[in-house]
Amino acid sequence: MSEEMKADLELDLKGLLCPMPMVKVSQNIASVAVGGTIRAVATDPGSMADIPAWAKSTGNELISAEKIDGEFVFMVKRLK
Amino acid sequence: METQQMTTLVGVLDQKMNRQLKQYLDICARCAICKDACHQYVATQDFKYLPARRAELIRQIYKKYFTKTGEFVPALYEARDPDENLLDELYESTYACTGCRRCMYYCPFSIDTAWILSVAKAILIAAGKGNEMLGQLADAALFKSDNFEMFKDIIVDGFKDIEQQVKGLTGDPDAEIPVDKQGADILYVALAGAHSILPAAVIFHEAKVSWTLSYFEAANYGYFFGDAVKARKIADRFMDEAKRLGVKEVVITECGHAYRVAEIFHEAWSGEKHPFKVRHILEVIDEYITDGRIKVRPDAIKEPVTYHDPCQIGRNGGIFEQPRNIVRALASDFRDMTPNREQQWCCGGGGGLVAISEMDEFRIKSGTIKAEQIKATGARIIASPCENCRLQMEGLNDSMELGIEVKAIMDLVLEAMPLPGSFAKDASTD
Repeated sequence: MSEEMKADLELDLKGLLCPMPMVKVSQNIASVAVGGTIRAVATDPGSMADIPAWAKSTGNELISAEKIDGEFVFMVKRLK
Repeated sequence: METQQMTTLVGVLDQKMNRQLKQYLDICARCAICKDACHQYVATQDFKYLPARRAELIRQIYKKYFTKTGEFVPALYEARDPDENLLDELYESTYACTGCRRCMYYCPFSIDTAWILSVAKAILIAAGKGNEMLGQLADAALFKSDNFEMFKDIIVDGFKDIEQQVKGLTGDPDAEIPVDKQGADILYVALAGAHSILPAAVIFHEAKVSWTLSYFEAANYGYFFGDAVKARKIADRFMDEAKRLGVKEVVITECGHAYRVAEIFHEAWSGEKHPFKVRHILEVIDEYITDGRIKVRPDAIKEPVTYHDPCQIGRNGGIFEQPRNIVRALASDFRDMTPNREQQWCCGGGGGLVAISEMDEFRIKSGTIKAEQIKATGARIIASPCENCRLQMEGLNDSMELGIEVKAIMDLVLEAMPLPGSFAKDASTD
């Protein structure tokens, strides 16, 4: 799904250690408009739980979370 | 501000009031010795970062509502209401503080400004002015545990990925990262990141100890946010796990505040004595090296290495010698910083500041003294057992061109261990 959608903001979080990928998504969500999306790519496996938990607990939408070629790719939609 | 809301905020101060806090608020002699102890004030010369000034904002509310002189002649005794202006001042000086407690170390009366600022955070949260980012990160951690079945398989899959690297490094196809192991001796509490799991898993494997990995991360943004209830609940996740599994000890990874929360605060918060020991991973590794349970090559690291005492592990946690013993065991050129141990300067990265982007510029500036300390050693590697410290020192390295490598102690240990598999520098992020 993440490959089909064009995101409003791309975040390269490769090499960042958890919880920093979640922190970076959280810091950047305000820079897209409500309804806009962030595509984030991380390499730390901890992000697979962290970023979905952040999205759900903050009332944003996790459109997808996938492992692709050893990387973790997230599409998050700002809802408020 | 509505009178009712002000009454609520004063009520928060009243709830937190005890003999210790009252003494801190009554006794400050305004000697300003603390100004020379605070890395933020020394680096910026900005009055709002002076420790006594930070505490003074709470003291002004205290005078207005808890002393007769301040109640009847507020202008004369600098007594104030917790109005919007005061809260705005309080927000910046409070959430900027790393809680390093170097000011307390030098204060002639041992006034714990960080304690006073924990009350300030409670007041700010009650006013709806708590730091949003830290609050979100605390809520995300609690969401994970409140909806654990939603995340359990994802978390375990992540562990399985790391387990493959453990097998490679140890050369043991049966090496594992045990999870939920009833009756294990040790519950190891890592960060969510692989970097804090992989080296510990290899070390535990080589030491042939009975251990199990916690499902939950040690980091506690509830503590940084200043919400004691959330902070306790975040720590409860692995403390309850430890009780359920019947472990003999909980070992906290290389994380400063997580160690202090687990070892110093949690028993007081929960009102229960832990039925197990709590130790920092470096206490355990030092013991393994001393007892010969793991081997490290004595000259594995030839470049000069220095060590930064994280405030929450050193000055506030009492762990000074074990990390130095470990570094000396594997590095041929160890150079301590000056000052060090209890007097170590804070690097500027604690208190959750690395997560607060609006404080990035200030945070890096506040690390000027640390950067000078590092430069003075001539070291090429700086080791420190705290994630926030390492993030800050990487920032200092980039912005001030220190030309150093910032490392966790466990990474140095892994490099120094004679393992069948080679230690790939980026193994934790593959």
